[in-house]
Amino acid sequence: MSAPLVLLPSDEVPREHLPSNKSNPLRLGPGLRLLSQPTSQAGDSNHVLTATQAGLLTTDAKRNTVSLLSFPNRRYVPTVNDLIIAQIHHSSIDFFHCIVTPNTAHALLGQLSFEGATKKTRPQLKQGELVYARVQSVGVGAGAEVELTCVNPATGKADGGLGPLVGGMVFDVSTGMAARLIRASSASPDNTDAVEGLVILGELGRKLESLGGFELAVGRNGKVWVDCSNAGESAIAVTVAIGRCLQETDQHNLHPHDQKKLVTRILRDLKLAS
Amino acid sequence: MSKEAQLSIAERDFILEALRQDVRLDGRKPDEYRPLNITFGEEYGHVNLQLGKTHIIVRISAEVTKPRDDRPFDGLFNINMELTNMGSPAWDNGRSNDLEAAVTHTLDRVIRHSNALDTESLCILKGVSCWSIRADVHVLDYDGNLTDAACIATMAGLQHFRRPDAVVRDGKVIVYGVEQRVPVALNITHKPLSVTFHTYNDSKHVIVDATLKEEQAAEGDLVIGINNAGDLCYASKIAGAPVDAMVIVTKTSIAWEKVKVLNAAIDKVLQADLAKRAKVGMADESRAENDREVQPE
Repeated sequence: MSAPLVLLPSDEVPREHLPSNKSNPLRLGPGLRLLSQPTSQAGDSNHVLTATQAGLLTTDAKRNTVSLLSFPNRRYVPTVNDLIIAQIHHSSIDFFHCIVTPNTAHALLGQLSFEGATKKTRPQLKQGELVYARVQSVGVGAGAEVELTCVNPATGKADGGLGPLVGGMVFDVSTGMAARLIRASSASPDNTDAVEGLVILGELGRKLESLGGFELAVGRNGKVWVDCSNAGESAIAVTVAIGRCLQETDQHNLHPHDQKKLVTRILRDLKLAS
Repeated sequence: MSKEAQLSIAERDFILEALRQDVRLDGRKPDEYRPLNITFGEEYGHVNLQLGKTHIIVRISAEVTKPRDDRPFDGLFNINMELTNMGSPAWDNGRSNDLEAAVTHTLDRVIRHSNALDTESLCILKGVSCWSIRADVHVLDYDGNLTDAACIATMAGLQHFRRPDAVVRDGKVIVYGVEQRVPVALNITHKPLSVTFHTYNDSKHVIVDATLKEEQAAEGDLVIGINNAGDLCYASKIAGAPVDAMVIVTKTSIAWEKVKVLNAAIDKVLQADLAKRAKVGMADESRAENDREVQPE
């Protein structure tokens, strides 16, 4: 792996850092923007990638993605294709108006943007219910509306568990932690530790397997939804344990070694360790 | 925008269900406070308090004014609190909300009306001049239980504050600077603190020091102001679901326990701070056996 590259807002991404996989189109992650630059030269070199926030450039050659690893912000800025956990605020004829971040403008989620939804079968979501959604568009300019969707428009399927989240509990983490969790879960299992320094989920999974395991959805807006309805009587304790592990790892920026200790300590605390 | 974002159904249900099993989200017991961290600034009466993620700064200040006509022997004492955008994006600058009114009212009742600060000792010359003590409460971050946090910070500030010395000579008031005379501590008659309880599931579960999420899921609250000696100086059950009388009685004794612990914590940091200040005081600086600083030419 080459030396890490830190970019500041408006810095260009050097061409040699981009993955050289030609079979797939290059996919941009959050914090980067494609700009076309008027140049005198002909050819395709008049497009540049610039950073819109400060962060560490990360590339994934296999999936041909390039993204900017930013710092844990408290505020989430929607970016196209982000997976988020939104809360329904109210519904109108065509849309559900959702809260992505408290005290910001609502995002719109189409009443029909669910898997298999028709006018008759669309979900009836009440105020305060949660959905796992993907950011479809963020619009241009100030005051633009953010649009969400719960289906993949190409297939009409809800891949990756998109849709209403029933039961469970939501925990708040920093946006940086949420991004790390997402990357850690998409990376191949053998190099997760090395890349993100996050062993907490693997460790929790191993320790809680005997209790029925758990289900987890990470929203880039700094929310983690945890459901352990399989765990029976200890469901509440397991959920609280997972939430506390994630939040403490986030707040104290724990090393992998400390993360393992934390899991052991909290499970013993809640009398879950067998 | 001026409203706190509501809790989702999943969160509310989970918090209530967890409390039924006596589990709190951060692993605390029902009557356990979050970690309390108090530090003092350079100046007297500058308190920086963190209760979990709730973060408050209190400044105590003093100035000489004319006493009120109807109370010529009394000094003035005011507590000012304004919730600004800095503490939470849900608060608007310059517009007061219910929370602000409730917290200010409680602070006023618990500290000011219980005469925690002896206002008669603030009188300098009858009907002519007195000290006006002002406590400014600033909220930097809000994660529930603002009342208790503000109360602890204000009481710590009052105990930490030193006002300049003032004497009356030939009918004239002379105020000495901090360098001229050792400043004087305020006369604190007793140390009341508030303890806020939140009730859930028909007041079957009552917890102290709720976080913001727990506060939002609560059905009612109960504020008790009590001092170290066990004198109840304030009790309020303004809104929310009714609470059984026995709950109030048992919770009052829990509040007393809590107040003793909290006051002990305040005393500890106060003593540590005073000890630190004593070392770098003027007397120490001017000692003969100190090294002389050689002035560069």
